[in-house]
Amino acid sequence: MTAVQTALAALPALPALPALPVLPVLPVLPLPESPRHHHTGGPGVAWSPLLAASVASLASVAVVYALAAHRLRRRGHPWPWTWQACFVAGTALLAAAFVVPMPAGPFTAHMGRHLLAGMLAPVLLVLGRPLRLALRGLRPGRARRAVLAVAHSRPIGLLVSPATAVVLDMGGLWLLYRTPLLAATGHHEWLHVAVHVHVVAAGTLFAFAVCRLDPVRRGWSVPWRAGALLAGGTAHAVLAKTLYAVPPPGTAFAAADLRAGAQLMYYGGDAVELLLAAVVAAQWYAATGRAQRHASRRALRRATAAGPAPVA
Amino acid sequence: MSQARPSAGPETSRERGRSLVSAALIGVAVMAAVDEIVFHQLLGWHHFFDRSTPAIGLLSDGLLHTAELLALVAGFVMWADLRRRRALSAAHARAGLLIGAGGFQLFDGLIDHKVLRVHQIRYDVPDLLPYDLVWNGAALVLLGAGLVLALRARRADPHPRPATGPGTGSGSGTGSGSGAGPEAGSEAGGR
Repeated sequence: MTAVQTALAALPALPALPALPVLPVLPVLPLPESPRHHHTGGPGVAWSPLLAASVASLASVAVVYALAAHRLRRRGHPWPWTWQACFVAGTALLAAAFVVPMPAGPFTAHMGRHLLAGMLAPVLLVLGRPLRLALRGLRPGRARRAVLAVAHSRPIGLLVSPATAVVLDMGGLWLLYRTPLLAATGHHEWLHVAVHVHVVAAGTLFAFAVCRLDPVRRGWSVPWRAGALLAGGTAHAVLAKTLYAVPPPGTAFAAADLRAGAQLMYYGGDAVELLLAAVVAAQWYAATGRAQRHASRRALRRATAAGPAPVA
Repeated sequence: MSQARPSAGPETSRERGRSLVSAALIGVAVMAAVDEIVFHQLLGWHHFFDRSTPAIGLLSDGLLHTAELLALVAGFVMWADLRRRRALSAAHARAGLLIGAGGFQLFDGLIDHKVLRVHQIRYDVPDLLPYDLVWNGAALVLLGAGLVLALRARRADPHPRPATGPGTGSGSGTGSGSGAGPEAGSEAGGR
């Protein structure tokens, strides 16, 4: 037994199926290739009613966003085109992740989808500031009050804290690849859907908590969010390296496929981490710039107040 | 921290320290990228994952790898902030770049390769010693050059503008080696 296997065996034995928190199985979730393909090969895309419905609902989400932004602009409020482009690209990427066939082995293709749907698309969706758009777009009234009440509620504040986001996102990934959960998704359709809902939802939560671009209950400072990124990135990198050598329990992928998938996970994760870090860094840069401008304005005011009287 | 500055003058000692730290963070990230691109990908000497890696080595490797990515971003944004305030000390930045690069190389060569045994420099050779000597020797040369530059930068203009904040006297050789990523990143944001 290698050291990694020993270490993995030392992990608490997690009951695979029944203990999984039952997630709300939304019909929004794309159902990718039939789960049996995970084990038999070709990552072809089998169109199912659920997949078609998911793509349609993603498209309608993008349309609703664009309409809301358009209405806002017509009322004279600016809404940056880059934000809109990010959100629309995020929905498109999310749909593409489950529709476009991936030219690779089954595990590598699975990892490619995971990367697009669980990491890159969520960052783009978060960059579109959907909550802010909803709050600006909704007229004062019951709906707007409800959105505001939810956004400022204590449970939501807890949910989008950096620590919760790291645990839900990375904990879910470790459960998926280091327990027989992935193998079980091949036998239970509902579990397959639930896992994908969780991957997308937890990825979005993580990006939301790290970027913190939308107004929710309380803000977290840059060190906290950088710490979440460090912890999440570490958990992701370590998991990818172990996958290189040890497949998820109960699965039998070809060694070359496993290695390619693990490296895709590792380096693809790096790219998304850099993107997230750049978002946080840009926020820090803007905030420091504002503070400097305020300080110099204050100093200038003090200097003019204390200085010699202006020549009459 | 951010006082009004009517004109660009000599930097405060804190700004010199920050110039050095920001460049050291970039140096760490550059050396890490060289390691990843040249030795892992191009030459294929290092293994992506050595099955004999102990769990602690795996964990430290993942932590360090992520910290390098954050160090790259944190270093560049600190550097951009100093440029914007016209407070970048080029001499200290040059020193910091070499200290960061050499410090990382030495950490990788001693702690990662030898203590934690994450992976070795090369696998298909009978004797690893020359590789280790060259690796760590190069690290010491970089680190030494960085320290010399830092001393010279300090001697060239020994009277920095006094900082109004508490952080005075952070000249050469502050702990800006390989492990500085997360701490410096949080320091950058903590103001």
